[in-house]
Amino acid sequence: MRQLTTIDIKDFPLWEKMKEHRRLFSFDLEITARCNNHCHHCYINLPSGDREARAKELTAQEINDIADQSVALGAVWVLISGGEPLLRDDFEEIYLLLKRKGLLVSVYTNATLIRDEHIALFKKYPPLNIEVTIYGVTKETYERVSGRPGSYDAFMRGLNLLLEGGIKVRLKAMALRSNFHELPAMAAFGRYYTKDYFRFDFQLHFRFDRNEARNLDIKSERLTPDEIVALERGDDERFPVLVEGCNELINEEFSHVGCDHLFHCGLGNGGFNVSYDGKFRLCHSLWAAGTIYDLRQGTVREAWEKFVPKVRDMRSRRAEYLEKCRRCSIVNLCLWCPAHSDLETGELDSPIEYFCQVAHARSAAIQEADAARQEQA
Amino acid sequence: MELTLEQIIVPSEDIVARLIEDDLIIVPLVAGIGDADDELYTLNETGKAIWSLLDGEKTLGSIAEELSREFNAAPGEIEQDLLGLAGELLLRNIVVAR
Ligand SMILES: C[S@@+](CC[C@H](N)C(=O)[O-])C[C@H]1O[C@@H](n2cnc3c(N)ncnc32)[C@H](O)[C@@H]1O
Ligand code: SF4
Ligand code: SF4
Repeated sequence: MRQLTTIDIKDFPLWEKMKEHRRLFSFDLEITARCNNHCHHCYINLPSGDREARAKELTAQEINDIADQSVALGAVWVLISGGEPLLRDDFEEIYLLLKRKGLLVSVYTNATLIRDEHIALFKKYPPLNIEVTIYGVTKETYERVSGRPGSYDAFMRGLNLLLEGGIKVRLKAMALRSNFHELPAMAAFGRYYTKDYFRFDFQLHFRFDRNEARNLDIKSERLTPDEIVALERGDDERFPVLVEGCNELINEEFSHVGCDHLFHCGLGNGGFNVSYDGKFRLCHSLWAAGTIYDLRQGTVREAWEKFVPKVRDMRSRRAEYLEKCRRCSIVNLCLWCPAHSDLETGELDSPIEYFCQVAHARSAAIQEADAARQEQA
Repeated sequence: MELTLEQIIVPSEDIVARLIEDDLIIVPLVAGIGDADDELYTLNETGKAIWSLLDGEKTLGSIAEELSREFNAAPGEIEQDLLGLAGELLLRNIVVAR
């Protein structure tokens, strides 16, 4: 009988246990809200030299405490994100302290600050993966998004260092008004380097700090529903999967008629998010009053065991929501959720016209393709 | 390297062993433990019992004795199992031998 078994993260025994009861699997640490880029569409970035933001950042010691508490609750996986996590001088210390706790560590980065020291670190202590966002594959486009001269060269240099160092990189791209014309080239670039993983994100949500001018920037970067559908249709790998899963994605059983719970996603089911200043949230987009727990004043255990169930139990009384999104059969195709609703309208339960239009356009395209597929069969 | 019953093996500093809801999960800390960097390991019940006895003082022989008492099994059988597992752990740098 085999006593030692290799397990793939996909077959982790905890997945089964998570089906039986809510338990902690992972957590995200936004170790800074600052960034060296100034992306037009960004929901979080504050200037890299922002002293106030820097002063509020969790120290490595505080991160160590939070990680200890999370590991004691059984966490297996941590994502380090930001802002730009590599902006922190103590990035290496933070990365290593998380690795030493037996956590699988992923990092989100724009790659512009990658240096030889990072490659040596990742080679010796491998991350689960380093996920890099592509904003353009020409200097002009990349920097139109990033808003920073020199950032394209820095991105290419950093990415090359990672790839040449044999570090496990995943590429993804953000589809924006500013890079729309270059998306096919971005996809080709992304697939060339990380074929099995590459994906586009195209749905933008508003800022965590509710900065109105910046929210207008985000709005101006959003693609139209038709553009999103055209983009999705052109994705030979993902679109067939969506069509294949049509019946699960668009399904009356997903509607929750007669239930006034606000949240019907997996929020707080297996993970949580910690902001740069120690705020525990059930999801990285959720910033609404009453849904935030300050870890500088309390413990991860209390947040996880006592606070999460309270948030998950929040209800709505808004007829518009209960009649519309709460019983919507295409909610799985929609970026609408209470968190995004709050960021956009200040209310957790207001439908948002743009998200609704995008979801309906996606649903129509998927159903059309599904009908054509069935006819062919 | 062939292990003998006189030897002592201890968990390597290059891994972190974690007990998560009764599962013993071995997480590589440095590169080169498994065939791929994102591989984890788990031990079955006997493996777990063995692991808990790797205190840096007991030899493999005394661990085999202890286990044969605990599981009421023939020492020869336990010794074989134990050396098999210890060898595999050693090969993967999950333990080091003293
Ligand atoms: C905030 S960044 C942090 C990590 C790193 N700086 C990067 O750019 O990959 C994480 C991801 O969120 C995406 N993002 C930024 N603003 C967004 C928004 N308003 N809505 C949705 N995703 C956004 C980024 O493009 C990036 O892929
Ligand atoms: S690189 Fe990432 S964190 Fe920085 S501004 Fe762009 S999206 Fe935001
Ligand atoms: S915004 Fe529209 S598509 Fe999205 S969940 Fe609400 S009703 Fe459904």
